[in-house]
Amino acid sequence: MKIELCEALRVDERGEVSFAQLIEYSGLPEADLRELIDYGALSPLDPKAAPPSFSASALGLVRVAGRLRHDFELDANAISLLLCYVARIRALEEEVRALRAGVAGR
Amino acid sequence: MKYKDYYATLGVERNASADEIKKAYRKLARKYHPDVSKEPDAEERFKEVAEAYETLKDTEKRAAYDQLGQHTPGQEFRPPPDWGERFAGAETIFDDLDLSDLFAGLAGHRRGGARGERTPRRGRDYEAAVRLSFEQAFHGSEIELDLSVIEYDERGAPRRVPRRIKVRIPKGVMDGQQLRVPGKGGEGADGARAGDLYLDIQVETHALYRVAGRDIYIDLPLAPWEAVLGTTVRLPTPGGVVSLKVPANTRAGQQLRLAGRGIARSDAATGDLYAIAQIVVPSVLDEKQRALFEQLARTSNFNPRAHFETEANP
Repeated sequence: MKIELCEALRVDERGEVSFAQLIEYSGLPEADLRELIDYGALSPLDPKAAPPSFSASALGLVRVAGRLRHDFELDANAISLLLCYVARIRALEEEVRALRAGVAGR
Repeated sequence: MKYKDYYATLGVERNASADEIKKAYRKLARKYHPDVSKEPDAEERFKEVAEAYETLKDTEKRAAYDQLGQHTPGQEFRPPPDWGERFAGAETIFDDLDLSDLFAGLAGHRRGGARGERTPRRGRDYEAAVRLSFEQAFHGSEIELDLSVIEYDERGAPRRVPRRIKVRIPKGVMDGQQLRVPGKGGEGADGARAGDLYLDIQVETHALYRVAGRDIYIDLPLAPWEAVLGTTVRLPTPGGVVSLKVPANTRAGQQLRLAGRGIARSDAATGDLYAIAQIVVPSVLDEKQRALFEQLARTSNFNPRAHFETEANP
């Protein structure tokens, strides 16, 4: 049986994604995504551009946002706050990993 | 089709109010959600809880579920004869389905409208955990995945089918990263595009290498005389063995950098590899070796604790 070979792409691949793509990938309503932008949880590449576009790294973040909204029934304000914490936790985890990796004898 | 007791999953009575169901779900979601839980079976438990809530929070779905009757969890059962016509709007083949598929299909049927017209519906996104060895992640690899996906027949009735796909994993993926395989999620309904498959990557730890970002770290044990006099060692790296020149007077903990020997990514600069010097002393010395160390101790005026005196009593 011949099995189809598919390419796996990095979600955070460098590049730009459109607002429409963010809506599609996150499963979030457009109004919620706009609120996340207003609250500063999502930053367009060019704040003056219309329609806005985003760094592809936002894809991972909006999927987390979509999951939090769906699974915990949170509103956009709560999601935006949590996304800030998620970003901080990820940065700290990365820092801890780097510190551990750099210690000999582990 | 196997029966699942959604009420028992949420720990509520069958006559529980909507508020009681919501409260029970939120409590369990807080306990088992994979983003916040440290429970070993959190992901599996959360899926069960979410599936139960997805049906019981919706008045129509809950009514349809109640009409299935009460059975022993895990027991094979068939819905009442007219159940499919009443709730799914089509003759449904129950044997290939999971209970959750049945109720997901119910939502799709309802979205089709009162007159039965259909609106395109993008396929579901699927997620799968993929465990890779360090080498597979470093070099990239091809893996085979067995999935169980939902397809819709010409009448829009869902059925679950097995699908095997081969996926090319790009080189340089890291633990915790997510990859997307476009179009390999659930089939879209009525002309809509298919969902995507998301792969949650877990990379096994390696006996020698530790990863931080795109950099790799490895411990480099050195004998005291190698650290003092300098030496050349054969150093394993994920890309192959290299010859590393260790300079004289290398200190313990000193990091020797091998540029470009870290993790490569198509969209970013390749990382570096760092060899961290460790001074290892022999656990057994013969007479001659001990004599040499004693001679060194007598000859040397090196004091590694010289700063104690000045810094302890400034």
